[in-house]
Amino acid sequence: MTNDRMTTYRTSCLPMAVCLAMLPSVASIQTSRQTIRMIQPRMVKIFGAGGIRGLHAYGTGFLVSPKGHIATVWSHVLDADSITVVLNDGRRFQARVLGAKPQLDLAVLKLQAENVELSYFDIEQTASVGPGTRILAFSNMFNVATGDEPVSVLHGVIAARTNLSTRRGTFEIPYDGPIYVVDAITNNSGAAGGVLTTQDGQLLAMIGKELRNARSNTWVNYAIPIGELKEAIKQITNGNFVAHKKKPDETEIPVRYHPLDFGLVMVPDVLYRTPAYVDSVLPNSQAARAGLRSDDLVLFVNDELIQSCRTLKVALGRLESGDALRLIVRRANQLVQIKMNVKK
Amino acid sequence: MHQLILRLTLTCWLLSLMFSTALNAQISDAELEELEEQAFKQAVALVSQSIVRIQTVGGLDHVSRVLTGTGPTTGLAVSKDGYIISSAFNFISKPASVLVTLPDGRRFAANVVATDRSRMLTLLKIDAENLIPAQAAPKKSFRVGQWALALGRTYESLHPSVSVGIVSALNRNWGKAVQTDAKVSPVNYGGPLVDIQGRVMGVLVPLSQRGTNESAGVEWYDSGIGFAIPLEDILATLERLKAGQDLNPGLMGVTFKGHDLYGAEPKIDRVRYGSPAQKAGLKTGDIIVDIDGRNVVRQVQVRHAVGNKLAGDTISVTVTRRNKTVKTKMTLVAQLQAYESAFLGILPIREKGNRLGKPGVGVRYLYPDSPAAKAGLKTRDRIVRFNNSEVTDAGMLADLVHRLRPKQPATLVFLRADAATTVQVKLANIPNSVPGKLNSAIIPRINNDESSRLKIGRFTQDVPAYQHSFWAYVPDNYNADYQYTLMVWIHPNDDTMEAALYKQWNPICEQRGIIILAPKAAQIGGWTLDEDKFIKDMIEQFLQNYSIDTTRIFVHGFSSGGRFAYHLAFKHRKLIRGVAVAAQPLRGRLPENHPDYQLQFHLVCGDNDNLYPLFQRTATVLRQMKFPTSLTTIKKHFHTYPPVEQVREIGRWADTLDRI
Repeated sequence: MTNDRMTTYRTSCLPMAVCLAMLPSVASIQTSRQTIRMIQPRMVKIFGAGGIRGLHAYGTGFLVSPKGHIATVWSHVLDADSITVVLNDGRRFQARVLGAKPQLDLAVLKLQAENVELSYFDIEQTASVGPGTRILAFSNMFNVATGDEPVSVLHGVIAARTNLSTRRGTFEIPYDGPIYVVDAITNNSGAAGGVLTTQDGQLLAMIGKELRNARSNTWVNYAIPIGELKEAIKQITNGNFVAHKKKPDETEIPVRYHPLDFGLVMVPDVLYRTPAYVDSVLPNSQAARAGLRSDDLVLFVNDELIQSCRTLKVALGRLESGDALRLIVRRANQLVQIKMNVKK
Repeated sequence: MHQLILRLTLTCWLLSLMFSTALNAQISDAELEELEEQAFKQAVALVSQSIVRIQTVGGLDHVSRVLTGTGPTTGLAVSKDGYIISSAFNFISKPASVLVTLPDGRRFAANVVATDRSRMLTLLKIDAENLIPAQAAPKKSFRVGQWALALGRTYESLHPSVSVGIVSALNRNWGKAVQTDAKVSPVNYGGPLVDIQGRVMGVLVPLSQRGTNESAGVEWYDSGIGFAIPLEDILATLERLKAGQDLNPGLMGVTFKGHDLYGAEPKIDRVRYGSPAQKAGLKTGDIIVDIDGRNVVRQVQVRHAVGNKLAGDTISVTVTRRNKTVKTKMTLVAQLQAYESAFLGILPIREKGNRLGKPGVGVRYLYPDSPAAKAGLKTRDRIVRFNNSEVTDAGMLADLVHRLRPKQPATLVFLRADAATTVQVKLANIPNSVPGKLNSAIIPRINNDESSRLKIGRFTQDVPAYQHSFWAYVPDNYNADYQYTLMVWIHPNDDTMEAALYKQWNPICEQRGIIILAPKAAQIGGWTLDEDKFIKDMIEQFLQNYSIDTTRIFVHGFSSGGRFAYHLAFKHRKLIRGVAVAAQPLRGRLPENHPDYQLQFHLVCGDNDNLYPLFQRTATVLRQMKFPTSLTTIKKHFHTYPPVEQVREIGRWADTLDRI
């Protein structure tokens, strides 16, 4: 095959080629501009309660069925007698809350209208991606879009895929499953309930509420993967949703064990973050038999980092009888493993 | 049949060919986006084995008002045998123990080896072999606009966290850092900034042009303004850090004439005693023209040339001195000898604008046993010459004396009954005491009513621009022909003490010519650090409205108010000349005594006050830094405002702020 011949064919068949290019394209060959055009009609602006004491009265949602089901974040905005939903093209509808799942920070609304032509996401068609993947974020952050204006689009990459709360106290939010962290500033007022998509338009996740990471004192930009929400959305949409009881709070968990129960005398807890140094070990105690010594610094209890005497108390308090207790202590410059069993 | 098949095949082939060629033109954008994404991921994969997770245990919960995080942070392996570099920010809480987790999950106890205080880095060491050190991208390859990826390992995940941006600028912060718009925050401080080839350009740190402590610049997190210290620069000083040597910014020990950093030429005003500049023979009046082969014309260029240099680095400096070019070398130091100015031992007569046209500076008061007293001067003598310079006013004499050091000799000429006498004096140290008796200066009687437009007496005023208010007292006998002392009263938390303070100070103000300005904190419960702007504006407004001597402006605070008083004085050196604090020790790092902006201290505390030992320590530290500091102990006194006698003493001290 020579180049000459190729050129000939190309010219002679040009009209056909144009036709072909207009065929629905495969997902992986779509530019972000095309993606944005495709996604925008599926996004809605939600208006409800708020507007006082710094609470915003607007939010974002996305259509998940041709009948007008909308997934969004469970928030105070929905706590209103009437919720207004404005579509991408400016059409305005009333909506009601069909159901909510607070553990997932999820709510599903239904438009109060029949036979409306709608674009929507197929929540069965979602992707799962890793760090470095380019994303687009769609939301009505700060209520910038009004009337028939499309919602705002940000671009960025997936910064991390991680668990929102591996330990209590890091984030103050009921949800504790996997999340995407993004490097764009996506989580703003009113942005919760928006979506993340890949550059080529595959639905990834729902943007969460504004949230502070208590351990680094920074705001986190995160979104909950659709895979985590899918079942709940389907259940609420189909009307066979069963609300679950809330998990008990950490504060309700009784403190069952103290360091002394193992024969450990810790240094006096005087500072906010007194390091968990062992002051002395009671002779013939469990700790003594396991090989703990005074001046050991307790660093991990069952793989949980112990940053102070206070966190040690909480970690030991949570143990139950029969649990294995694995400690890692720092002795001089060495890390030493200690194993014990929690007795009754 | 055969032909049909052939035709079909051909058509299919043609179709597919058309499909791909037609799309070729149209999808290049999409393809590019995808290729770039792949490149990001590959770059991350290349460097990820060098990125470690750091956890700390114990330590402070607040550092200079920034709540320190307790979460994990990031570090970068820089040698096979266990050296890890990270941002100093990650260790500001001074943790009791540091732990490093390698990408393969192995966990080690780490020791802090050394800190680079110029570029805010900390070197750690763990007992591990076969780390995979990061590969440095050459600094020469950096271009503004190129891709830059900020990586961290704070999240619990196999992969490092990624933020993608570009290089926004080079040589930021006096040549120290690369700037990027990738999101940089406590999530990735200590992690690498990587180019698209997976080479490490630098280590992410918070930096600020203004602040110099470890947490400066943190307020810019995730803003699109992030900084990284080039890894090449770090590797160049790695051996020094490995040896346990802390690195500090290098100082020359010169100040320049004029404070226009961007406009004025680098003409040396003062050469600090014992500094590298003095040892290299630099002199007042020299103009720096070249540093290390870099031509300099303006002061800011000197900072650019020296800003990235460390203590211990040697630089070559070329100056012009009376049309001659002089070339020298000097080794920079971390700390200059504390500046200490000389003392003649007089208080000048206060003559606003010297309206009577008398020559020189009159002597109002002589310190007993001072150089001036020993040389035979008496009150009302007039000093007209000092070391070959004609003296026209007190400010000029003060400047001439303050340029010299204690124990240096000087020659002065004074007039007594129009007869001139020349004497030799040996200058002394500024005394750390307050005269037991000091007649107040003569405040002329009011002979006109031009000042009647001004508010006089005790009054309160709202300042809507700041949502603040203040109360003030201007002596009833206010006369614009006299220059007053200004006392800025900083009330303690929860109590403005307005009535009590006014009652105690009213007679002292009348006697010694003191105006009180008493701002109120927006929240009476306590001062927030940024309220200094409001106070600064109020001081400047008072300077405009009233006749105030700028060498006699001081802040006065009691208990928790003292803390903010220290802060104000150190933040506004150009404005404030004195600090009188009762019952509040000074915490934190002290700024240097600055030759251009002298600051004097007076401390009062009861010996039954729990804070008394700390308070004594404050005086010792201030004196070590050569700040003139008087300390008064009130016998059997607890943590309350001082009684009349000690308050009068503060008045006397304030009346000597213009001592020479």
